[in-house]
Amino acid sequence: MAENKDHLWKAPEEAADRIEDLVRSGSHPVGIDVGTSKVVVSRRGGKEVACQSQLNAFIPVPYSPVTERTIQQQSDIHYYRDGDELVIFGSATERFANMFNAEALRPMADGLLNPKEKQAWPVLEAILQSLVPKPRSSNEVLAFSVPAAAPGRESALTYHEASLRQHFTSLGYKAMAINEGLAVIFSELEQSNFTGIGISCGGGMCNATLAFLSIPSIMVSLPKAGDFIDRSVGEAVGEHATRVKVTKEEGLDLSKPPKDKLEKALHIYYEDLVETLVDTLRRAISRAEKLPKTERALPIVLAGGTARPKGFRELFERTLRARPFPIEVAEVRMATDPFTATARGAHIAAMFEK
Amino acid sequence: MARREQGRGVVARPNAARVQRSAAPKSPATGLAGFGRRPLQALEARGRSIRNPVEKLRFLRHSIERFETLDERLQVLPGAPLRWVAYRLTGVEETRPLFSKNPWGALDPPRRNRPPLPRRARRTVNAAALLLVAAAGLALAGYPLRRSSDVASVMAPVVVAKPRPVPTAQARLDPPRGGLTPERIWLVDSGAAFELYSNGLRIDTTWAVRGEPRRYRVFTLGGGMGEEVQDRPIGIVYHTSESDIWPLEESFNEKLRDSSQDLLRYLRRNQVYHYLVDRFGRVYRVVEEKDKANHAGMSVWAEGERVYLNLNGPTIGVSFETRWEGGRALPITRAQLEAGRSLSDYLRHKWQIAPALCVTHGLASVNPKKHLIGHHLDWARGFPFEAFSLPDQYRVESPAVRLGFEWDERFLAVMGEPWPGASLAADRLATEAAARGRSLDEERKERAGAYDRWLAELTTDAETAEKQAAQAKRAQGGG
Repeated sequence: MAENKDHLWKAPEEAADRIEDLVRSGSHPVGIDVGTSKVVVSRRGGKEVACQSQLNAFIPVPYSPVTERTIQQQSDIHYYRDGDELVIFGSATERFANMFNAEALRPMADGLLNPKEKQAWPVLEAILQSLVPKPRSSNEVLAFSVPAAAPGRESALTYHEASLRQHFTSLGYKAMAINEGLAVIFSELEQSNFTGIGISCGGGMCNATLAFLSIPSIMVSLPKAGDFIDRSVGEAVGEHATRVKVTKEEGLDLSKPPKDKLEKALHIYYEDLVETLVDTLRRAISRAEKLPKTERALPIVLAGGTARPKGFRELFERTLRARPFPIEVAEVRMATDPFTATARGAHIAAMFEK
Repeated sequence: MARREQGRGVVARPNAARVQRSAAPKSPATGLAGFGRRPLQALEARGRSIRNPVEKLRFLRHSIERFETLDERLQVLPGAPLRWVAYRLTGVEETRPLFSKNPWGALDPPRRNRPPLPRRARRTVNAAALLLVAAAGLALAGYPLRRSSDVASVMAPVVVAKPRPVPTAQARLDPPRGGLTPERIWLVDSGAAFELYSNGLRIDTTWAVRGEPRRYRVFTLGGGMGEEVQDRPIGIVYHTSESDIWPLEESFNEKLRDSSQDLLRYLRRNQVYHYLVDRFGRVYRVVEEKDKANHAGMSVWAEGERVYLNLNGPTIGVSFETRWEGGRALPITRAQLEAGRSLSDYLRHKWQIAPALCVTHGLASVNPKKHLIGHHLDWARGFPFEAFSLPDQYRVESPAVRLGFEWDERFLAVMGEPWPGASLAADRLATEAAARGRSLDEERKERAGAYDRWLAELTTDAETAEKQAAQAKRAQGGG
């Protein structure tokens, strides 16, 4: 009987060919995670999905022919000239920030285009251009991530989304926006039929989405994430936010007791962030009027750079289970690659739309 | 990786051929009936058998979309109890929380592509067949012990085998019936409590009262408040009464009669609306047309450069006795539709009202303090403009949004997404802001500020007029 049934499962395996067909036919859908601290692009390179990223940051340096020549000699530095300044953007920014002992600037803040930054749009446009090639044929689909609308910030999100859409459309893509949390669900919760909670903890925002069978039911965003931790810890311990960021990214382990004052502050603010995030999610789910009926417990998947430190998952689960949660949670797990999860999910959405 | 275990033992593993069919996005062969009465479990089980994420997504989304289409079809079924049974038999009820106008979770969701006509036609046939099965199931399940003649009598009013194009918000409505139509509309006959017009409109005037005299100003985008005081109605605002609605069944006759009378008493006392169309298509005049009624106090609409604030002054309020309930289905009876059409024709003919100024309350209502649209949402979706021979006002750029108004979460919770005209206006606003080198917020603030100034001018003007009228009255009394 088992043997008889086994052959029935061969059909789904054949489905993979359809994707190959999609590539062979000349279609190249693209997925982009436009995050506050990083822009990550996912597209198909050969048979594999390849991801590329750029730091979503820039630093202006005074223009001089010598400086420009020096920059030109290094192929990995992206820049453009703006009057008497050279604007260095992307991943090389950090190097220059250290060199000049200055803070890197950001074209985005709290998940959206930074309205206070004059260079915000030119820089973001340049970063996107360095990552996204022109489409090979007209109307290729490109899906880009957007955060959920935070209360009172809908208009800023509209502007952000419209600007990105306009940019990609002008390049010749058929552009579509996808919620960040939903993109995480697409890339990570395929085994549970895209049912569960996808959380992306980025630089400017945390985004969480509860979806059933791929349809988003609840979307929340929290304008508190990595940058908030860096800033708050920096203020608390009198350190530069950039240094806090480096400590955080290099070796923070939230499962172990803090070694020094800086780590102690990092622990405190991480706990605060996770507490707020879980609480926001709890309230949103409790308030929801109609959720699809499901008998099974739902998985939660964590993604984004801010979720990377060791012990983050445990901290999240501990906080979640400390108080009753309105839905049953099966597991809390990290995304296979927290940095690229959103971009990969957007890529799946783009392939779907094709 | 596909899971090897069976999906909760509810639905058997699908066979290969079925999986292939389900996964194929354009295959018309996937039958909704195959999902049974627990479609979510069935979808889950079938979904697990598909390994490729894109194919899985395609299968899930297309299946849900099919349920949504079926839901639209089922809404034409007459009678709430029948619909209730049909929803459960087909499993639509369970899938309904998954229907989304915003399946990507973005603010500006792409519109759902309508399938080409032949496929739609096939779907209609499928839906009709499903409805027939549902109705048969209802009859058999509900009355298993009755004689066959009883079953037949239960089935008779259902009329599901041929789903008549009973109007839904989405469905195209019947064109006006044939027959001789008079070129103009005139008063044919009148009595102490009625007026009869040449287009068949009969107005019951039993409840009619005088309201306050009309007095309003027109604003122009470039010039602000106009100097001339207006007193003629120039538009129509359509409402729903949001009153108690009883099932349209014989056993509820008393309730049906009483609720309309109670409603009319309330409307007359408060001078609300000019007309009420009850559920049997009777048209009642509440406030005289030439006077002002209370129906759309805080509202904005425009025609070209001419902007109207507070539509109580410039418009006639026509209300249908019903509840809007989201506008997914047409919430009025056929009799109300016919009577509403005749009344609308009569008013437009009598007052020379431009089609562009016939609008619904939901489209024009605003919250002036928070600068939000959709303060009231009746007919914010689903008004059958086409059947009223009016342009689709849902596609017209929202004048309020152009004046810096926005929408909030409460609005989206009900609507799912703004009507196309609101999105269009928001896009244009963003473009104009960008062209002026401003942020959208700055642009909105400036325009909303202009609206606030206009409203203040209007209020001052009305207060001044009131004072003058009172003085004149006193002077008359003294003389």
